Amino acid sequence: MTGTPIIFRRELAAYFTSPVAYLIAAAFLVFTAITFNQDLAFAITVRPVDPALIPRVLTQLLIFIAPLLTMRLLAEENREGTLELLLTAPVSDASIVIGKYLAAWVYYTFLLALTLVYQIILVNIAFPDMSHTLGAYIGIWLYGGATLAVGLVFSALTESQVLAAFLGMIALLILYFADRIGQIVANIDLGLIIFQLTLQGHFIPTFAQGVIRAEDIVYYAGLIVVMLFVSIRLVESRRWR
Amino acid sequence: MIEVENLVKRYGNMTAVKGINFRVEPGEIVGLLGPNGAGKTTTMRMLTGFMPPTEGTIQICGFDVVEDSMSVRQRVGYMPERVPVYPDMTVEGYVTFWAKLRGVRDVRARVHAVLEQFQLLDRRKQLVRFLSKGLRQRLGLAQALVHQPPVIILDEPTIGIDPRQVIEVRDAVRSLREGHAVLFSSHILSEVEQVCDRVIIINHGQIVGEGTPETLSRQLAGRQQVFVVVEGGSDARISAFLRKIPDVVHVRAMDDGFLITTKSDVDLRPTLSRLITQEGFTIVEMRAVDASLEDVFLTLTETKQP
Repeated sequence: MTGTPIIFRRELAAYFTSPVAYLIAAAFLVFTAITFNQDLAFAITVRPVDPALIPRVLTQLLIFIAPLLTMRLLAEENREGTLELLLTAPVSDASIVIGKYLAAWVYYTFLLALTLVYQIILVNIAFPDMSHTLGAYIGIWLYGGATLAVGLVFSALTESQVLAAFLGMIALLILYFADRIGQIVANIDLGLIIFQLTLQGHFIPTFAQGVIRAEDIVYYAGLIVVMLFVSIRLVESRRWR
Repeated sequence: MIEVENLVKRYGNMTAVKGINFRVEPGEIVGLLGPNGAGKTTTMRMLTGFMPPTEGTIQICGFDVVEDSMSVRQRVGYMPERVPVYPDMTVEGYVTFWAKLRGVRDVRARVHAVLEQFQLLDRRKQLVRFLSKGLRQRLGLAQALVHQPPVIILDEPTIGIDPRQVIEVRDAVRSLREGHAVLFSSHILSEVEQVCDRVIIINHGQIVGEGTPETLSRQLAGRQQVFVVVEGGSDARISAFLRKIPDVVHVRAMDDGFLITTKSDVDLRPTLSRLITQEGFTIVEMRAVDASLEDVFLTLTETKQP
């Protein structure tokens, strides 16, 4: 794992020098800002502010943002041929994939930290439940990590960034909305199991209410581990083609 | 330094490399020569540990490429074809990244040294995307040498750059001889002839010739070449006719005529002129040609043509 920090630093620097990453960050902030503004307008008359508002919005926004953040990671190396140099450097395939993944997660953490601005505004004009907010933020941070890991798999799979992003979005949409299938299944137990497998099944009922449960943490951490394992295997398979 | 034994690589049911053997010693520059698709890049990719061989063994500095992959990768400097780069990094950042990844001690000093060696110092703050092809090639060499590897593998280092830059790269390669085992591939003969101590000619995944440029030229001794310009028929017809003449080993259509390689040391010119005239063609020009390394190469690699 000696290569991981070196890969990580190069990749993180690449995010901060990439125009695409700034565009994604801008879209991310504009979207969350509009949502926050609307919620504030509602809060005047209709209902109190939602302390988990931003994390709740992000569950769906990340379906589109996460694959855009990860699409470049391995697909570009593959297309440019730099993967060939990386794979002949004295570092393991796993340390390459993990270094890249961590860079994406840290960049996402930075984006997430920017949304704390809304919480600061809120504290000054209302009395939000801060522990509720904190729970939801921890949840969405993990949730984001899981969606990025899913996105990374598709970046490892193809040379085309566009295809990687597109496939990643479809996979995340399925993972998120699979509970719709659960709802039309006549069997209640089966429906419940399907719901437990979806991304939202471990967020909306718990983290979004400010509740931190071990099983939800295990679900997202497990998803990350499995997706990283698949990505590493996919990178390895480049050697056989 | 490099020992390759019975190396085979199969992709599905296509065999790209069919059992090749060779060695490269320290202080030696060896050229791997062959037409496109001969298996040069595949061989090099196996040497660097990028892909495992289907059969056979490769030892680099005494380490097996498959068993001791990390030790091998530490000791090999590799420049793939058309130098892959990160366009948004600076020249210095790019070389520093590879130096760190390969565990170089005193990274700054080494990076400075290779940038100086390849005259990139004044461009070290420039983004890689703005480098010309020749500079990119030098950057590729700097990257391959930054960790002071004993074995250097260069895949087509002079492809796609202008003649002046070719000379620069060639000089750079020649300067590496001291203490390094250098293997470099090319499909351009003159370059191999000038730089290499030894040439390995590879075609259809097999070694078809090996030796110093001089010995290879000598292999053609006993053969003669005649250049003829013939009129009175289509090129295809003339060429087919020439091939049927006894003692003719090989006929190559050139821009303006045909290069005929003959088997015997008998001067075939009188026979040729008689037969060509009898067939109703006209000879515009005919002369004997001295065999060069290029002819050896073409004879060895074009034998499978009809």
